[in-house]
Amino acid sequence: MSWGWLLRRLLLAFIVVIGSATAAFCALYLLPGDPVRAMLGPTGQTPQIIAQVRHETGFDRPVLPRYGLFLARLLRGDLGRSYQLNEPVSTVIGSQIWSTVEVALTGFLLALLLAVLIAVITAARRPVLREFASTVELVLASIPGFWIGVLLLTFFSFRWHLFPAVGGAGLSALVLPAATLALTLVGVFAQVLREGMERALEEPFVLSSRARGVGETTVRVRHALRHALIPMVTLSGWVVGALLSGAVIIETIFSRPGLGRVLVTAVDTRDLPVITGVVVLSAVVFSVVSIATDVLYRIVDPRLKENRS
Amino acid sequence: MVFAVTCVLMGTAACGSSGTTSSAGSAPVTGGTLRYATAVEPECLDPEVAARDVDALVDRNIFDSLVSYLPDGTFHPWLAERWTVSPDKLTYTFTLRPGVTFQDGTPLNAAAVKATLDHAVDPKAKSYYAASLIGAYARSTVVDDRTVKVRLSRPNAPFLQALSTAYLGIQSPRSIKEDSAGLCQRPVGSGPFSFVSWTKNTRITLKRNPAYRWGPATAGHTGPARLDGIVFTFVPEDSVRVGALSSGQVDAISDVPANSVKQLRRTSQMLTAQAPGAVYTVLLNSRSGPLADEKVRVALQRSLDLDKLVRSVYFGEYQRAWSVLSPSTADYDPATVGSWKYDPALSNRLLDQAGWTRRDSAGYRTKDGKRLILRWPYASALMRDQREILGEGIQAEAKLVGIDIQFSSEDPGTLNTALSTGTGLDLFAMSFVRAEPDILRYFFASNQGVAKGGANLFNLADPKLDSWFIAATSTSNSAIRRNDFAEIQQYLNTHALALPTYVPTYLLGASKKLHAVTFEAQAYPLFYDAWLSR
Repeated sequence: MSWGWLLRRLLLAFIVVIGSATAAFCALYLLPGDPVRAMLGPTGQTPQIIAQVRHETGFDRPVLPRYGLFLARLLRGDLGRSYQLNEPVSTVIGSQIWSTVEVALTGFLLALLLAVLIAVITAARRPVLREFASTVELVLASIPGFWIGVLLLTFFSFRWHLFPAVGGAGLSALVLPAATLALTLVGVFAQVLREGMERALEEPFVLSSRARGVGETTVRVRHALRHALIPMVTLSGWVVGALLSGAVIIETIFSRPGLGRVLVTAVDTRDLPVITGVVVLSAVVFSVVSIATDVLYRIVDPRLKENRS
Repeated sequence: MVFAVTCVLMGTAACGSSGTTSSAGSAPVTGGTLRYATAVEPECLDPEVAARDVDALVDRNIFDSLVSYLPDGTFHPWLAERWTVSPDKLTYTFTLRPGVTFQDGTPLNAAAVKATLDHAVDPKAKSYYAASLIGAYARSTVVDDRTVKVRLSRPNAPFLQALSTAYLGIQSPRSIKEDSAGLCQRPVGSGPFSFVSWTKNTRITLKRNPAYRWGPATAGHTGPARLDGIVFTFVPEDSVRVGALSSGQVDAISDVPANSVKQLRRTSQMLTAQAPGAVYTVLLNSRSGPLADEKVRVALQRSLDLDKLVRSVYFGEYQRAWSVLSPSTADYDPATVGSWKYDPALSNRLLDQAGWTRRDSAGYRTKDGKRLILRWPYASALMRDQREILGEGIQAEAKLVGIDIQFSSEDPGTLNTALSTGTGLDLFAMSFVRAEPDILRYFFASNQGVAKGGANLFNLADPKLDSWFIAATSTSNSAIRRNDFAEIQQYLNTHALALPTYVPTYLLGASKKLHAVTFEAQAYPLFYDAWLSR
């Protein structure tokens, strides 16, 4: 892996982050209606209060200087202060992010584990088994996460009292949200993995392994799975998106703290600094994941390394 | 999808046993922590800066007010032992109760009251709502340690009622002075519960204030609260709140959806209180557009079968409204009931008379080739209680007589701009909780335009209404006041200036172990007397 390559990728990531911050700024600027009035709500809008808030939030200045100030602050790592919560945006995000990371990572790993199991067991097997698994996956991938969450809550919390629906803490409070997230992801994961495995199982190297008398499980787990993981890595961009949007739904159903709740509230109250803060953070996460993906590619698939260098 | 979810939940909760409501007769028990799930989370717990119902719900436990107010319109001592009002109604002199201390140990004195009221009107504090409640406040003077004089710039009949709300709860002066940036996050009052912690998007924890022995004269007991503490959790999803209550994971929930009430009654108890103030009211733009013609306004009013509509949207849990003023508000006029019955034939006649005689291909009435369109924007973020469905019901009823109501969701920025200028819309609906008939002035007096901080969206300037408002606010004769407000309520109906729809009702679902929850005049539950049986 050359340093030049990494530098190029970092530069690209920087452009992506600035670009998405700019896009967020423009989108909020182009939204119809007066942002100051939106912030204040329908009552209590005397001209003095409107003027005071307009000055405090900088909305009394023209748009270009405002954008310049916004960019300059962003480059210094300053995301500004929340209009509604009267706290720095970094504090707002910092206090909520770990809850989201916790559920996103657990859900992701759970989904991956399940998908690997399903793929290893069902790839290129009897049509009945394969079709059954495929149907279940398709159903899971099409059911909205909201519905899965409420269904899990209804049975595992309200009926059987196994896990708390509200006010829980620690591991027991993490199980249902993570399971919901995993179930929304596992359908797609398993489909992609199985297809990859089936393609790999037709490769000549599998035939030669089998000819050498290697057992079926070893062939699948040690040889085919590695190949099947390559298209999964490509999926990582989609996964980050799915995890972030899934967090919004899961945090609402399970009354969990997290970035999703922060974002929904911020959009409702037009809390621009918080919205742009979350957008910038998402862009950073996407960029980091995309770089990590390319690095992973080279580890999973040594052929790439040889071709380039 | 939503329907499917509801059915699943109904199946779950229906397996509980049915029973009678709580045994109010047994002796109260001390101890236990109340777990209360609310739909929304407070934004700020500085009572003067807070403006939403949920803020007041939490703050009421932490803060005491100078006076206590009952729905019948009477005031009772609380932090103020007694008070006098000067003949010109501009000076209020409060004598404070001795021996009261804030949760941080600071004693309550005249300077503390002054500090809170000054904080309420301080522009730097951004206390827009509290400041609007006591808009006439000029200054406070400390007479001696236990006496404070409050001076108003103009007579203000609802001043005492405003002081009785949690929004003007008295804060520790030390906390106002030393922690001005943290008042939202770390509230300090003198109330029956003190603030412990707030985990954002999760919970607020309060614990009993053991020193408390200055409850309002209107409470059910004296001394410290019976509960060890209260934990408020924030559960935005309706079905999850209902499930959490019926499975015993919380002791009480706010905002029970009307369609879950029947199911919850089997396992839990329902405590309800009609909110005072303005009911959910459709305001009509009588200044411009088709509704400037009173015939069209009355036609719209009589085209709505609200009995049927409200019953079908709210499953009989909410009452249909006849007056803009809620029945639980002082000076509500019961003579309004039945005074503007559903009469589509009359609507059709009036629309014909008003010149809207032709019909276009879609069946809507037209005049001079223009369709009878009424624009009704709303912001879904501000909607609750299935108000969108009610709006669509009204739209469908009006269509039957040929009126095209364009009920459309707008983003808050566009909507607030339209509201503050009063242009681009013919209809707008809102409710407002306030235990005072004076709320009518806020909506309909000519000096209460939006630019002046009021809610007279369409800048209605009706000399008759104005003269009744002036008479009602300046008299101290309660019979005259009652009569003035009755005239106003009937006038609004007769001239169809506003369409009352349903009476917003606080629907609190509670476990049968929870007892003695009462409601204050603003229809928020009070937990000072509450207790949990084992």
